[in-house]
Amino acid sequence: MGLPSDKPPLAARPRSIRWALALSVALAFALAAPAEASIIGPEAPHSPNAGDMSTAYWVMLVVAVLVVLAVNAALLGAVMRSRAGRDRVAARETAGRGVVTRAVVGAGALAVAILVFGVVMTSETRSVEPSGPDGLSASNARFAQVGIRDAPPVPPTEEQEAEPRAPVVIDVIGQQWLWRFEYPGHDPSASPRFSYGQLVLPVDTTVILNVTSTDVMHTWWIPSLGGQVQAVPGIVSQTWLRADEEGVYEGASTTFSGTSFPAMRAWIRVVSAEAYRSYVEQLERDLLEAQGIVQEQVEQGTGPAGEAP
Amino acid sequence: MSPLARPEIVTRGLPPTRPAWIERATSADHKSVALLYLGGAATFLVLAVTEFVLMRVQLIVPDNTMIHPEIFARLLSSAGVTFAVLFAVPLALGVIGYIVPLQIGARGVALPRLNLLSAWLYLLGGAAIYLSFLYTPPDGGVLALAPLSDTVFTPSHGVDAWIAGTGLATLGFVCFAINLVATLRNMRAPGLAWRRMPLFSWAATVIGYVLLVIGPVMLAALAMLMVDRHAGGVFFDSGEGGAPLLYEHLVYIYMTGIYVIVLLFAAGAISEILPTLARRPIFSHPAVVGSLLAIAPLGLLAWMQNMYFAPLNTGFGYLAMTMALATAIPVAVLLFVWISTLNRAAISLRAPMLFAVAAISTMVFGLAGELAVSVIPVAWQLDHTTASQAATLYVLVGGAVLGGFAALHYWLPKMTGRIAPEGLSKVALGTIVAGIHLYAIPMFLAGLAGQPVDVYRYYEGTDLSTFNLIASIGAFVLAAGILLELGALAWGYRHGPLAGHDPWGGTTLEWFALSPPPPHNFDAVPDVRSAEPLLDIREAVRRRTEGWSGPEAPGQELPREPVGAPAGAPDAAPDDEDRSVS
Repeated sequence: MGLPSDKPPLAARPRSIRWALALSVALAFALAAPAEASIIGPEAPHSPNAGDMSTAYWVMLVVAVLVVLAVNAALLGAVMRSRAGRDRVAARETAGRGVVTRAVVGAGALAVAILVFGVVMTSETRSVEPSGPDGLSASNARFAQVGIRDAPPVPPTEEQEAEPRAPVVIDVIGQQWLWRFEYPGHDPSASPRFSYGQLVLPVDTTVILNVTSTDVMHTWWIPSLGGQVQAVPGIVSQTWLRADEEGVYEGASTTFSGTSFPAMRAWIRVVSAEAYRSYVEQLERDLLEAQGIVQEQVEQGTGPAGEAP
Repeated sequence: MSPLARPEIVTRGLPPTRPAWIERATSADHKSVALLYLGGAATFLVLAVTEFVLMRVQLIVPDNTMIHPEIFARLLSSAGVTFAVLFAVPLALGVIGYIVPLQIGARGVALPRLNLLSAWLYLLGGAAIYLSFLYTPPDGGVLALAPLSDTVFTPSHGVDAWIAGTGLATLGFVCFAINLVATLRNMRAPGLAWRRMPLFSWAATVIGYVLLVIGPVMLAALAMLMVDRHAGGVFFDSGEGGAPLLYEHLVYIYMTGIYVIVLLFAAGAISEILPTLARRPIFSHPAVVGSLLAIAPLGLLAWMQNMYFAPLNTGFGYLAMTMALATAIPVAVLLFVWISTLNRAAISLRAPMLFAVAAISTMVFGLAGELAVSVIPVAWQLDHTTASQAATLYVLVGGAVLGGFAALHYWLPKMTGRIAPEGLSKVALGTIVAGIHLYAIPMFLAGLAGQPVDVYRYYEGTDLSTFNLIASIGAFVLAAGILLELGALAWGYRHGPLAGHDPWGGTTLEWFALSPPPPHNFDAVPDVRSAEPLLDIREAVRRRTEGWSGPEAPGQELPREPVGAPAGAPDAAPDDEDRSVS
């Protein structure tokens, strides 16, 4: 970058800085090369929104590493070059107006670029995608982007009207120090469908999670299947996921919730659509049976039995 | 010393009639009050480091049962408030309270008793929190988030102590800020226009206004929390129409403000140290002033950057992201000006310079991390994990610890007339820098692997074991470095080699006063004609002593000869009276 000769020359520009920049670019790309699960990346994404977050992370990691390396190289380079010697005379000049303006414009351009990138990626992450072909009652309902409160849902297109399918909606309820999950069709007495600790979901299916809390603040977070959502008592926060592979995914709450806070972990077990259907039916049968036993015992006066499975 | 030469100083010769500690506790001299702040900050830094080390001992191995979860919750809750509220801010205020009146050529402060009251309130606040260790220490978490901090979930009186202590300290900061702003507006030396004001005083001005904004916010939050706890209030009770998110907003405004204050304080100190020890003027005085002025509102408005995961309207998320990224612009300008100042300079690598450079380098790691987590999708994965905590810690340790030590090294000779031992300090600096990286980098990786903040345990069979082991070792190294450096400063305070009145060849008015300064600071306040008044004074002295074969020309003298008294004053020579401030 050349400077007009009447301006005080910027000594921060010599070759060594360019070398440092080139080296840092190379290093950053070398670091960022393994786009899958790696020690310097988040857990391997298994849902489109987690994938978008992962992409955003890798881009910002490269930016951050570049910033760290470039600034540190320039800083240490300047200190090394300018150490006081016997006949070293410090320059007395200060910046003209143009030099600082250029710095502001440069930093501003980077900030605007990151802002645009951030808005685009946020929007990407939040747009709910339809279920895939292997999913349960595969849904192509295009919801309003989750996270916007009070925004009306986007009306379905004609194609979607022709084949209306709803995503699976699960209520996720935090309490000290356990998660409770209420599956679609849950009705406390007629058809109870809830579980604790582990949430079972069908693969390749769009799932909307309504996250809330009954006591203190918690965070719902399964890194491979999406980002953090704060569970606030009295407010329902939404997030979504669409798991692409069967398996068990682990996560933890990140909001301090009292003494046993580290126990506030959560698991999602992703199974095939059939397995999910039979799991929920089995869950309902088991819970009804357990409720029947409790009811019987209460009537016989033998006291309440243990919690449902 | 002849009393005739400096008639105002005669009363200093009277024997003290009260014990020294009563003098210290009741003197409204801004320098004495500042030493109260600095002593408190050093004490609470030791306590915070101790708590930090204990927590890291617990986290060396997975599933450790050494420290009981309840004890861990107390350590956690105390460490957070101790580091941020009882150490980082008071350290900044201590240095500001001592140096800024000298730097602007004032003979005192505008509201000396309010200033003294502020130090009392701060120390009382710290005492309130630590006296609770006699019954139940605070256990509501770092932020005491509602509704966890309500009596339903946390009935212990430790939370009350936390509220009272944080509130008293914050009230103290507000009192301090009122006096600071009044002093800076009204008591500058003749000719010291805003555009000529030293950059550290500029940073202090902005910090004063930031405190005036965030202090009342936090006081309101704490008052509401107290009413909720003990007077049947429902401010944060969602079941009764209250809003738990409200408390989260308010406490994050305060914490973001503290972060901004740490950044501004470090920026102000660095902007004084670099030009002085690099022997050239700051590359752009107005650019630094503009950056300091911009960082405060932009940084504060980014408080919701901590709450991307909360159920907010998306527009607020975008607002926070915009403000966080906008803050990056003035920060980048600061870095640009600092690096340009160091270029084509004649740098003497004394301890203040080394600490300042290390502070910049360390803060850049954290600021780059903050840049990454200001992007919403990145924050959804990394916020509230040890990854984003590592970034925050880089800035807080870089700014408050390294920047604070840089400032103390630089101004200790002004406070005591003595210089801190350089060799020991350089060893301590190396230890601290090694420790912070050894701690923060594995913690960053652990956060990527899913480790939340504030946990007392992690589970066997995850990747977290190695990261936590290395991080714990790093934490111990960091703690050792900090304690070593505090020891070096303490030794220098009493026994360091005598430094004279202007050991660094400074260009601002505090170096015009004696070291340590007399109670009235200056016998004569000079007219300020530029942003570097001591250069003018040295030039005047040089012209008056033309016949004397001194150093050749200004700018070539290395080090410049100290000037400790008004030009032509008869007692420019250092006097041998014991000047330790006590």
